[in-house]
Amino acid sequence: MMAYLTRRSVLRGSVALGATRLLASPHVAKAAATTATVWFAQGFVQDEDVALRKAVTDYEKASGNKIELSIIPFAPHRQKVVSAITSGVVPDMTMSNPNEILQLFAWQDKWLDVSDVVETQQAQFSETALLAAQAYNSVTKKRGFYGVPLRAAVVPCHIWGSLVEKAGLRTEDIPKTWDAYFDFFKKVQDILRKQGERKVYGLGFQVTANGVDPANLFNAFLIAYGGQDIVTKDGKLHLDDPKVRQAAIKSAGYLGGAYRDGYVPPSAINWNDADDNNAFHAKLMVMDVDGTLSTEVAVKDKHPEWYYKDIVTHGIGYPNDNAGKPVPSIVGVTQGLIPKGAKNVTVAKEFLKYFIQPKVIGEFIELGLGRWLPVMPSLAKSAFWQNPKDPHLRGYAQQGLLGPTRPDYYVFNPAMAEVYSEHVWSMAMIDVAKEGVKPEAAIEKAFKRIEEIFAKYKIA
Amino acid sequence: MDGASVVDVGRPAIRRGTLSRSLRGGLKGGEYTWAVAFVVPYIAVFVAFVAYPVVYGLWMGSKMSLYRELFADPIYQSTVVNTVLYLALGVNVKMFLALLLSGFFMRPGWWMKALLLIFVLPWAVPQISTFISIHWMLNGEWGFLNNALYTLFRVEGPSWLNDRWMALGAVIVSHIWKWTPFWTLILLAGRMAIPLEIRDSARVDGATGVRGFVHITFPLLANLYLICTLLSTIFLLGDFNAVTFISGGGPANSTHVLATLGIRDAFEIAHPRLGVAAVMTALPLVIPLVIVLMRRLRTAEVQL
Repeated sequence: MMAYLTRRSVLRGSVALGATRLLASPHVAKAAATTATVWFAQGFVQDEDVALRKAVTDYEKASGNKIELSIIPFAPHRQKVVSAITSGVVPDMTMSNPNEILQLFAWQDKWLDVSDVVETQQAQFSETALLAAQAYNSVTKKRGFYGVPLRAAVVPCHIWGSLVEKAGLRTEDIPKTWDAYFDFFKKVQDILRKQGERKVYGLGFQVTANGVDPANLFNAFLIAYGGQDIVTKDGKLHLDDPKVRQAAIKSAGYLGGAYRDGYVPPSAINWNDADDNNAFHAKLMVMDVDGTLSTEVAVKDKHPEWYYKDIVTHGIGYPNDNAGKPVPSIVGVTQGLIPKGAKNVTVAKEFLKYFIQPKVIGEFIELGLGRWLPVMPSLAKSAFWQNPKDPHLRGYAQQGLLGPTRPDYYVFNPAMAEVYSEHVWSMAMIDVAKEGVKPEAAIEKAFKRIEEIFAKYKIA
Repeated sequence: MDGASVVDVGRPAIRRGTLSRSLRGGLKGGEYTWAVAFVVPYIAVFVAFVAYPVVYGLWMGSKMSLYRELFADPIYQSTVVNTVLYLALGVNVKMFLALLLSGFFMRPGWWMKALLLIFVLPWAVPQISTFISIHWMLNGEWGFLNNALYTLFRVEGPSWLNDRWMALGAVIVSHIWKWTPFWTLILLAGRMAIPLEIRDSARVDGATGVRGFVHITFPLLANLYLICTLLSTIFLLGDFNAVTFISGGGPANSTHVLATLGIRDAFEIAHPRLGVAAVMTALPLVIPLVIVLMRRLRTAEVQL
């Protein structure tokens, strides 16, 4: 029978042809089998993204696989990851952003076990990095490796050496024990004020309820005052431990008290993550306790004299505690994660195995100008990290990789991540700083809330 | 078979024919096919980007336990108060100023046009960079405002963003500053649409100045004013930028509005369902607003 072409038959035929092409195309099927979607947050400097792209291209050449790499600005990346996990439309691999997302979603059984990837470099990773890559899964009731350590960050002290000298003091004379160390900067402020400096503060404490800085700051003090066992490796909370309670009270008292007494810029009560960096660069305060070397790296090109001469990082990590013992630094570790539901797990794992080879990951981190630390102690011995002409890198690597370190508390129980995001410690500091509340009462309130949050995350 | 049963038997056929014609909207053959072809992409886009997200959102925020958690949160309680204040002051002060200014810009002269050009600049500049600038200007120690106060008058200004009410006030004032020009332009267009004959006749009858405004201009603008107010309320309810970039929701989470609290709960606390629930609690306000808006739009159509 002769078939006549009509508009309807052409439309119908075209749709059918298109559908057949989509379903049957061998090219698409092949691509799906060898292509992995990978999400990274944008680097702090362009070189970081260039280094990442280079690593991806090298991997593609070596393997014949394809990586669909998305480099997304920091905040949208975080939102995209949360949305992806919630909706189930996930990439094949993403970096953790924020880091605690590993533990929060591992609790809900949303990540794939990647112990086989970690295994390939297990001997290279620091103990802290290996601990931070693990999380408790409340469905399987087990801890496991759900993250692959990529890079790390620690919280150093940043000091305007030039302001200390302006006060007639020397950075070499900064005391080596905790309270005396921070009190020193109050003294610097007092002297500078007497000299007529109208707006200079001794301490850049982030007594704010924004961002990650206040929790990092509070934790540093909590550990220094002996409260390091607030959450133990088994995920148990120890608010009933008198040492923990005393340390928390002393921390809220010192941090809030410094603000109340006028040694912290008044605007610190509402700083966001970038505000303290801006305030430090404006020489509003003599010292700042802030994560990564971004404070220094940000001014390296524009103000090399600041980087090389005026700004001093403490060099060997935190001052000792009041009894003279070293204070370990909490290290935040960025992880590579593979969500459950990822379409091409094989390529994602292969890529991660390639990416964490010391040579590849080491180059990637060094191109970030030292903002991030490696997670392998052997990499800290490179010429880049041990450059004698650089005043910051050696000390930073010492503090975050070679010296005493520990992972954050959310690694042991994700409830702590919620404590941070709810800014429970911040509210305790603010209660003391601004509302005139006694540290004991502020910590009583904080502990009550922490107990409520931990009640949602019971570890067997 | 009697006559009645014949009619009954025939009815379904008549109904089918009527229903079919009604669905086809009087279009025949190929015209109907083309009409469907044009409508299908719109329906697909509507389903994918409007219906699906709304239904998904409703599903995400459907658990009652979320609302118990939300209502028990003291930050949510202060957020509701902030949202009400933000809407009441932000919308009404802005619209009232826009109404007055639209009258001012009706004055003739080239310099008025030049002034209007300058006046709309706050609206024309990108809002995020503007709000970040305001955040820095209001910094207590090194912000422009306090430095200017000290340089000019030797007065130490306060830390504007350290107090809940000053921070919220800064957000509301910034919103009014940013959006008044836009609504002024809309109301200016409304005023210009009033036929000259009506104004001339009123002038002949002695309705000039305030009387002219009260008896002629405002009654004719009232519907537009109300529609603009309703639209502005709906826009402002979803506004995230002013609070995020000026006060950051601080100090101590005291200046959040529902939109920023939703984002905080969804992405900072990584609890998207709670974030959706926070935004959903605005629905009892949004739905009546949309219904009133639709009704007023129909009335406006008749009047115009």
